[in-house]
Amino acid sequence: MILVEELTKHFGPVRAVDGLSFAARPGEVTGFLGPNGAGKTTTLRMLLGLVAPTSGRALIDGERYADLDRPVARVGAALEATGFHPGRTARDHLRVVCRASGIAEDGVDEVLGLTGLADAAGRRVGGFSLGMRQRLALATAVLARPPVLILDEPANGLDPAGIHWLRGFLRHLADGGCTVLVSSHVLAEVEQTADHVVIVARGKVVRDAPLAELVGEADGLRVRTEHPAELAAELDRAGGAVHRDGDLLRVSGVDAAGVGRAALAAGAVLTELGAERSGLEKTFLELTMAELGGDP
Amino acid sequence: MIALVRAELLKIRSTRMWLGMLALSLGFTLLGLGFYIALAGVEMNGEAALPPVTDPATVRGFYAAASAGTLFMMILGIIGITGEYRYQTITQAFLVTPRRYRLLAAKLVAYFLFGLAFGVANVLVTVAVALPALAVKGGSTSLLDNDVPTILGGTVLAMGLYALVGLGLGALVRNQVAAIIVAVGWAQLVEAILTVALPSVGQWLPAGAVRAITRANIGFGGGGELDTLPAWGGAALLLAYGLAFAAIATFTTVRRDIT
Ligand SMILES: Nc1ncnc2c1ncn2[C@@H]1O[C@H](COP(=O)(O)OP(=O)(O)O)[C@@H](O)[C@H]1O
Ligand SMILES: [Mg+2]
Repeated sequence: MILVEELTKHFGPVRAVDGLSFAARPGEVTGFLGPNGAGKTTTLRMLLGLVAPTSGRALIDGERYADLDRPVARVGAALEATGFHPGRTARDHLRVVCRASGIAEDGVDEVLGLTGLADAAGRRVGGFSLGMRQRLALATAVLARPPVLILDEPANGLDPAGIHWLRGFLRHLADGGCTVLVSSHVLAEVEQTADHVVIVARGKVVRDAPLAELVGEADGLRVRTEHPAELAAELDRAGGAVHRDGDLLRVSGVDAAGVGRAALAAGAVLTELGAERSGLEKTFLELTMAELGGDP
Repeated sequence: MIALVRAELLKIRSTRMWLGMLALSLGFTLLGLGFYIALAGVEMNGEAALPPVTDPATVRGFYAAASAGTLFMMILGIIGITGEYRYQTITQAFLVTPRRYRLLAAKLVAYFLFGLAFGVANVLVTVAVALPALAVKGGSTSLLDNDVPTILGGTVLAMGLYALVGLGLGALVRNQVAAIIVAVGWAQLVEAILTVALPSVGQWLPAGAVRAITRANIGFGGGGELDTLPAWGGAALLLAYGLAFAAIATFTTVRRDIT
């Protein structure tokens, strides 16, 4: 359980984080979303004791990170701009962490395999691509199988296959009871895995809700059906606004359950039903832009 | 704490930086030794460039070459902490050890130990070259006379302590290039001048402490004429420099936000 209360950080005149409060619960992937410069990295670094808050608290299982006994075994972290010595091999990097925190070194090859770095284990990190560094950062985070995971923009630099793998990996960890907090400035990276989203802009929380709620608010649904004409008519009767494009209907004003009922009533076979992705993206943009005082 | 020290030793061993520092310190040692071997007892313009190997001072000079590369131990220590900032590995280091003074303490111990090991390496190479050279030239081949045990033992200790001082200095300065410039500029300019101009002050400086520990002047010239602390005083002085730098750093630079 991660708890952030009224957290504030000023860098001189810059209010990087401004009275931020939210929680991330076990068994859930919590997406920490916001545009660049919103204060995500600063918040996560305060959670991990790397940056001293100007005021407020950031607790992990009720304790400050610096007060945790063997923190690496309690919290796994992969942060943006965390470096590796270019002259050290991936395996040695992990062995150093093991030694310093008293973890058995048996786990090293296992996490290297898990993150797809088995073949690169003996190579110096200086020759690694950004994606490989991200994988190594992730391997470091999960080295001691901690119950809490804090990841800052972990998808940066990963290829599509890597992002897909990351989603599944985070899902798997959360399903196993982990508390997973993952930041991103790209909604699409989070929307398929997160159970809960905290959207920040200019250091403030602008939205803190289950992802499903946000999806529900998105501008409409995409419905593909074998009987578009019948379904469109039924949806119209149910009070929805329908835009037909061949066998694809873009529907707003009716939720997914409403579409289901309309389909049943119309005897229409659905071949696809989902949130309009662009709609969700637009919601995210609106929320953050409103805070920034601009037009979406 | 032992685990942290072992982790720091692995950090040092797992990159090749230490090899460079070892090569440089050995290079300086061999250079100094080469001068002694080449010039001891050799007539130049009718005068001896250096006293012959039968002179105890020359024997001391041969072995004192072992400590010619101590400055590189300070640079090793400086890189040991400033490298963490430079490569942003400090984030991971503090994640593992959020009580930052503990990391600093572990580094001080680890670099001291590593410096001692380097000292041993320099001493072994020095003996391996100096002993046969002295034998060939007809000098003393005893490793027990002429203060040789003090010089060699002192070199080992001085190298360990210099690495520790470098670590404290690096923690305080944080910027790698700046810290190295400070160290080299201090040792090569400020201290060199002060040692000659104000020997009473010079004895309280790091090089003066090395002179006190090794009982020998680095390089050429008569070390005997300079004010010098007792050996234990020199060791305590270096330790105090390292710990004072580290303590000040703990309450200043080391506490800063890592962003
Ligand atoms: N060390 C620092 N000194 C001054 N300003 C900083 C520092 N670190 C971050 N900031 C500022 O704080 C704000 C939030 O940054 P950050 O937490 O990195 O945002 P995000 O991770 O959401 O992109 C930005 O305006 C950034 O410029
Ligand atoms: Mg960031």
